[in-house]
Amino acid sequence: MVGLSEGEKHFIRGGIEQDIRTDGRRRLQFRALSVETGVIPQANGSARVRLGGTEIITSVKAELGKPSILHPDKGKVSIFVDCSPTAEPMFEGRGSEELSAELSVALQRCLLGGKSGAGAAIDLSSLIVVEGKVCWDLYIDGLVISSDGNLLDALAAAIKVALSDTGIPKVNVSLSAASDEEPEVDISDEEFLQFDTSSVPVIITLTKVGRHYIIDATSEEESQMSSAVSVSVNRHGQICGLTKRGGAGLDPSVIFDMISVAKHVSQQFISLLDSEIAAAEAEAAE
Amino acid sequence: MSVQAATGTYSPAAAAAGDKRREKREELRRHLAEDADWPRADGRSFHDCRPAFMQTGPTTAASGSAYAEFGKTKVIVSVFGPRESKKAMMYSDVGRLNCNVSYTTFATPVRGQGADNKEYSSMLHKALEGAVMLHTFPKTTVDVFALVLESGGSDLPIIISCASLALADAGIMMYDLVTSVSVSCFRKNIIIDPTSDEEAWQDGSLVVAFMPARKEITQLTLTGEWSDSRITNAVELCMDACSKLSDILRDRLKDTATLTSE
Amino acid sequence: MAAETEAAAAATASGLAGEMEVEAYRRLFPLAFLERHLRESVRPDGRHLSEARHTTIALGAVYSAHGSALIRLGETVMRSLPSSSSPFSPLFFPALLASRAPQLFDEMPSQAMLASVKLEVMSPPAESPDEGSVAVEFHMPPICSPLVRPGRPADVAPVISKALEDVLMSSGTINLKDLCLINGKASWLAYLDIYCLNADGSLFDAALISAVAAFTHLEIPLVSVGDDGRVFTVGGNEGKTKFELVNREKRKLALGGIPFSLTCALHKDNVLADPTSEEESVIETYITVVVDSSDRLVSIQKLGGAVTSMETVKECISLAKERRRKLIEILTDSVEAMEVDQTE
Repeated sequence: MVGLSEGEKHFIRGGIEQDIRTDGRRRLQFRALSVETGVIPQANGSARVRLGGTEIITSVKAELGKPSILHPDKGKVSIFVDCSPTAEPMFEGRGSEELSAELSVALQRCLLGGKSGAGAAIDLSSLIVVEGKVCWDLYIDGLVISSDGNLLDALAAAIKVALSDTGIPKVNVSLSAASDEEPEVDISDEEFLQFDTSSVPVIITLTKVGRHYIIDATSEEESQMSSAVSVSVNRHGQICGLTKRGGAGLDPSVIFDMISVAKHVSQQFISLLDSEIAAAEAEAAE
Repeated sequence: MSVQAATGTYSPAAAAAGDKRREKREELRRHLAEDADWPRADGRSFHDCRPAFMQTGPTTAASGSAYAEFGKTKVIVSVFGPRESKKAMMYSDVGRLNCNVSYTTFATPVRGQGADNKEYSSMLHKALEGAVMLHTFPKTTVDVFALVLESGGSDLPIIISCASLALADAGIMMYDLVTSVSVSCFRKNIIIDPTSDEEAWQDGSLVVAFMPARKEITQLTLTGEWSDSRITNAVELCMDACSKLSDILRDRLKDTATLTSE
Repeated sequence: MAAETEAAAAATASGLAGEMEVEAYRRLFPLAFLERHLRESVRPDGRHLSEARHTTIALGAVYSAHGSALIRLGETVMRSLPSSSSPFSPLFFPALLASRAPQLFDEMPSQAMLASVKLEVMSPPAESPDEGSVAVEFHMPPICSPLVRPGRPADVAPVISKALEDVLMSSGTINLKDLCLINGKASWLAYLDIYCLNADGSLFDAALISAVAAFTHLEIPLVSVGDDGRVFTVGGNEGKTKFELVNREKRKLALGGIPFSLTCALHKDNVLADPTSEEESVIETYITVVVDSSDRLVSIQKLGGAVTSMETVKECISLAKERRRKLIEILTDSVEAMEVDQTE
């Protein structure tokens, strides 16, 4: 909870009106982004992303599992978000449960695509090892270390970075004669397959304060919002998911405008993120 | 025997269920490849909603209630309050809206646990929050409880529309009735008010909750891969259907009002 | 002493009665309100003292279940007229233009229970290899009453579940051997789930009616067994199928000794059959009598409350028998109505 005086509220709203926000940014400008990969050695892939005062750690773990009966030709991906009590006192105990669940659902909606798998960030068929028998289960966990607004965008960016850092061990399967027996699986610990993350979208949240909308809002700015729209956009400019937050109704034309602004901003953000990932990888390789 | 003991109980699958499912998918692929309209299982065209039945007052114990039936989907929503906030909560000069959605154990073909659906509960809350005049009942809570008797597709939009009828039945002040409609997309085609079979194969879905008189969208969610022009089309289609659904809701409320005043 | 204050309160209440609106009087002095009715030998909802509520049974309300029933207690009131003309263009909701009969509510019930039976396959326990099993659960979802909140199930729900199970088992309604598929290998587990949609008194009676009706409607699917020992259903005509059928003869359960119950609320010298929740809130003594189709007593229950004479108990039993006759008629009618529907 952000406690603000009337004067401060007025200052924030007035700044947004005049295109100079309290920290000197324009309305459609991101805070400083810093990216680090491989922060958790036990995980198959991990990343730390800082976006201004918001800090996120994500990890990707791959485990061998059994595909579901309904989709024998697909692997499984699950996404969970947890908010650490260090980020905000109100996250203590069960305080963060609702927010964590909301963020997890929003990420699942944006990254996992439709029921048939169209528009998914991760191609689930690439996770299959033996159809109907063995597949990779990806567990993507996000942890909010420090919270200063715009958690969803930062989480999605961190997941994109962590996935690009992820190596999935190569598996050799020896099919035994009896087809109904469990196949023997030999996991290589030297050869890894890199993940194709080109289709992983980024999420851009447009927060509406007064008549204008801003990106990458701080928690002070978020407290002044009437509603927000989070749009997930991939490299080709296709919309892969959309969630509206905040109760106030929005005129349809405003929503369409927000989508096109988000699309425009997303392409800049994707190239920024790509160059950061390349820099982080180069650093890790040294 | 040992296999069964390990899995506990199970509902017997239909003979060759897997084949049938594959057949259905192949058929859908064929239709998609031809890029032509295909007949929907219930005989509707792509832009037809299922016949809707909506009714106020199934639950007399509640302040207001509504029942909705769209094809196989059957939902009851009860509204209680405004009443004392149960939890020890801080003072609030606006009222609280508390939403809960649960399913019966027999709502889905495979027997469920009848547990609360947290995701739908929070989505219902977000869809209604912007429409209810919370300042008209300070310090108190209005409870909106939905029970899905049978799930047959488009559950969430039906819950939202039904809940807004129940709120109106309870006499809770609202800016406008919220109605909601969803669409599924299959490649280039958009079909409205999908059934659960259609939802199982969809490439993407879009749910709109709309206040027709104010022309405002209270909730919008989207999955799958969409271009912006298609989003615009789909949202407009949903808004049109929402306005028509809202007329039905209004007629229902007028019917009830004339009957009670008689 | 207590009686004196009560009398005084009643006197004040009746003194006030002339000056108060009926609804306010009803809420402020529920007991006095009820007693004034009882003096005239009538109930607040217009029934006679020993009259049970009007009951309707609709079979087959749930598609996804093998057997289901919706029962309603209370005078049904048409709350809304079928709209004959709707002014919008027929692009959407075309079927609404023709007024359409819904499957569930077309009118307003005052007490509604929805029961469903779903069959699943289990391996029978070693001690009874030729028997299936029944799992009874009575649910009170938050929609049914202002007293139930999400996450905190109602206290009475498990009590009613247990009582229902006891009655269904002890009356021999269901022969568990009928639920056997393959001796020692597979048998049915019937999940009976009853949802109270609107709680308005005499919950146990209503739940029992819906349970019996759902089992009457139950149609067991034709099944066969695959090579892997798993049971699967066989659709279509039983005459022409390539699978070997396991349960050709056992498509319907033969219900033995169908039990029905009646709860009576006892207030002073009055016996009120089938009390509503309003009546239950002021009366403390109840007798619940369960009788089977040959008028034998299955169970009789009086949990505390005021002391009661044997005559009153006997009266309750005879009321229960009368109610049982009426309910069997209603159930038979509903089965016929359903069959007519299906042939149409």
